[in-house]
Amino acid sequence: MMTDKQDKSLSWQKGKDEELKGQELCQSLVAEGTSTGLDDIEVYYQQLKSLEVVIEKNDLQLPKSDNYQGVGIRVFKNGSMGFASTNDLDQNSLKMLLEQAAVMAENYPPDRNNRLANPEKLERVPDIYDERADNIQLGDLIARARSFMEEIKEDERVTVDTAGFSATIATDAIATSRGIKSQDSQTYFETQAMALAREEDEVSSFDIEYQVSCFFESLDVAESGRSLRDKVVASLGAETVDSFRGEILLTPFSAVMLLVSPLIYAVNSENVQDGISPWKGKKGKQVADKKLTVIDDGTLPGGVGSGKFDREGLPQNRLEVIKDGYLQELMYNTYTAARAGRKSNGRAGGGAQNAPDIAPSNFMIAGGQQTSQELIGEIKRGLVVNRYSGSVDPVSGDFSGVVKGGQLIEQGERVKPVREVMISGNIYQMMQNIAGLSREREDIMNFKLPYILLEDVAITGK
Amino acid sequence: MNIAENLKKVRDENQEWLELRYHHRDSLKLQVKNGSLTDSISTTLSGVAVRALVNGSWGFVSTSDLTLEGLRKAADEAIKAAREAGSIKENRIQGLAEIEPVQGRFDLGEEDHNSREEPDLAGKIKLLMEADAEIRKAGEDITASQIAYSEIKDRKIIVTYEGTEVEIIDPKCDIGVVAFGERENQQERAHTSHGVTGSWVKLFAERTLSDLADKAVELVRKRLEADYVSGGQYQVILDPALVGVLAHEAIGHTVEADFVESGSVVQGRIGERVASELVTLVDEGNIADAAGRVIVDDEGVKTSRTTIIEGGVLKNYLHNRESALKFETKPGGNARAFTYRDEPLIRMTNTYILPGESDLDEMIAGIADGFFLKGLAQGGQADSTAEFMFDVLEAYRIEEGKIGKPVKGLTLSGQAFEVLKSVDAVSSDFEFGLGRGYCGKGQAAKVDAGGPYLCCRVMIGGQQ
Repeated sequence: MMTDKQDKSLSWQKGKDEELKGQELCQSLVAEGTSTGLDDIEVYYQQLKSLEVVIEKNDLQLPKSDNYQGVGIRVFKNGSMGFASTNDLDQNSLKMLLEQAAVMAENYPPDRNNRLANPEKLERVPDIYDERADNIQLGDLIARARSFMEEIKEDERVTVDTAGFSATIATDAIATSRGIKSQDSQTYFETQAMALAREEDEVSSFDIEYQVSCFFESLDVAESGRSLRDKVVASLGAETVDSFRGEILLTPFSAVMLLVSPLIYAVNSENVQDGISPWKGKKGKQVADKKLTVIDDGTLPGGVGSGKFDREGLPQNRLEVIKDGYLQELMYNTYTAARAGRKSNGRAGGGAQNAPDIAPSNFMIAGGQQTSQELIGEIKRGLVVNRYSGSVDPVSGDFSGVVKGGQLIEQGERVKPVREVMISGNIYQMMQNIAGLSREREDIMNFKLPYILLEDVAITGK
Repeated sequence: MNIAENLKKVRDENQEWLELRYHHRDSLKLQVKNGSLTDSISTTLSGVAVRALVNGSWGFVSTSDLTLEGLRKAADEAIKAAREAGSIKENRIQGLAEIEPVQGRFDLGEEDHNSREEPDLAGKIKLLMEADAEIRKAGEDITASQIAYSEIKDRKIIVTYEGTEVEIIDPKCDIGVVAFGERENQQERAHTSHGVTGSWVKLFAERTLSDLADKAVELVRKRLEADYVSGGQYQVILDPALVGVLAHEAIGHTVEADFVESGSVVQGRIGERVASELVTLVDEGNIADAAGRVIVDDEGVKTSRTTIIEGGVLKNYLHNRESALKFETKPGGNARAFTYRDEPLIRMTNTYILPGESDLDEMIAGIADGFFLKGLAQGGQADSTAEFMFDVLEAYRIEEGKIGKPVKGLTLSGQAFEVLKSVDAVSSDFEFGLGRGYCGKGQAAKVDAGGPYLCCRVMIGGQQ
């Protein structure tokens, strides 16, 4: 794989034939497609080698291994575009795939914004490939699962519903008729677990623990087990509360669904162009509280959303999306950039099984000055929202849902766990009045998020 | 040698318990937005899953290498993984419930395979574009439109240690239509959708694309004129779509045997009263045309109708072969895998509440202060405690037995069994209503759910 070490090492040349298989496959298909009279062609290759150990009901349930390799082809002819993909990589199937993509294009109404990007200089991002990954065996993951379970079993009231410990080596390659050609590899390791606690007839609500890193040794699974155990036990004995208006402290996990997903929707250039983003026409204007700064950075060393290129082969980069509450930049791919008469900013997302869409890389909300404990200390009457189970309408911003693993806070002190409590409001309005952001941040998938304190939220209890 | 022969050969070469599943999927996705075709995607995903049961543990390997050598390697790895896991597994698998091996070919879309009316790709795109244009022509208040169509054509061959050898042909397709509206700087969206097992022709047999487009426009306009409400406990009427969501999401998951074993709220409660005696709830795979249709599951078990709740009493959980043996019962064919890269999990198929005898109009007339709730807006979620939260697409105030103004921003929540205990009327209507819904449980599954109209008490979350 094209990693730091191999690039610099003497053995790189030796491994090249095998290691650049994806890129070479893409290039040969581009050559073949071009010869059939297409205007343009893009071939994207993806390989995902993964191992996973699944825990269910406090016991090892399933060791799994998967090796996926596939290509997706986009072809362009007279402004029409077609896409087809397959994971059957024999010569005959690939020939049929080219034909299928051409058929899809023939039936596509022409759109002058359908085009490919021109090549730009690509650079590797450091610290996204763990050399150890090639040697990791199922046994290593089984050992992880065991140390996680040892922590869980310290308290017999806790049951792990499911937990997964996975290791993935991902290789992406691309070639286009405009001259883009590259390949990149990344490793990532995830721990995700869902548990509940039972005491006599009482069942706590589910809680979740999640960790991700590009490096195997960076995950602390024992800590993950401890944290999950403590969270579900702390939610035993939960009671409902009377309805009131108050503050809510979103943990990074609950912020993903409640705040980050509408935020990503709102800054997606396609939604803005289609008139279905609440922030259409708001570029350069204030859309949120001055405390809110959002950065999307695909060049972040060690970031699971980092990489050399985006789904269209353009360089990943650092983008200031919101600065001090002002909307600075939307996320564009080549199509929406063409619609807007500008250049893409490298936010084409997706893999080999789909045509490029728009997606963030490492989407980060800047932290504030206080710790999460200090933020709790500022709450007069409100809730800590560990997990949010509900909906958010990204168009209007209206949300309403149940608080899971919630804690009632009064005068800065934890009073009791709560259940059957709902929160509702409008997330875009709330973003305009953020009471505080924590200094510490957590990685959830490709997001890096602080704890976020919001004010004046409708809290509905009994 | 063809793939079926290779699967049988690898099975026969090994002494260990093996299940080999070839799964070839051709899918097509089309999406039209505001007059442009924004997605036109053809995908082939093809491979073999090998599951081994050795030493009291499972091992699972998926591969796209379909050569005899590739299959042998996958089988060896699966056996090795199972052996390694089995050496540390605490509760080893004692075995699987016995089944009658199934053989033959099952075509789930047989009824309309001969249809000559199925449009070709160009025809489908044209019809979607026309419906998309129709939405935006509805008026100045309608600002944007979106239509998504997807079809999946599956071919599976399943070969097991016990002698099951089946070929399954399974075509499924669905459609979703979204209308966006704006009035006085306020934006709303509303959707309608439909899904079937079968072809495009089957999909639009009862509701045309134009009907769906009109409905989406009508719904978004209602949302634009609707007011927010304040929350609290209310008497409500749920439509078949919401009854389906309740049956699937809030009740159905809690009776999946794997969740039961993890301590779901119904653990150890077979035979207990868990709902009003008016409620009978079942899961049934083999229903012609239904979006969740399954005839033989991915463990090679023929599906049957499982009665989950009968007259308010909890009767059965949903099983795969492993859990059925533990619970000393028969598997109903609920082990499903979404692609060859997925292992079979306990999943629902078509889950529904049986219709009753009440008249919907009389049910409405009986409510002094409540709501009439229809369809799911964005999504539904529930825990294995049966606590749920669904947001409502279309809602009306009911005052003094009469349907009043549309309202919005509503969610309903509660504990699903408590809600079912509060049921005091079940209408004689019946409909499946999950539309293009997929169920997510680590992997996707095409399911459907529905029922009659129910009158019950729930907690309403509002925003006033």
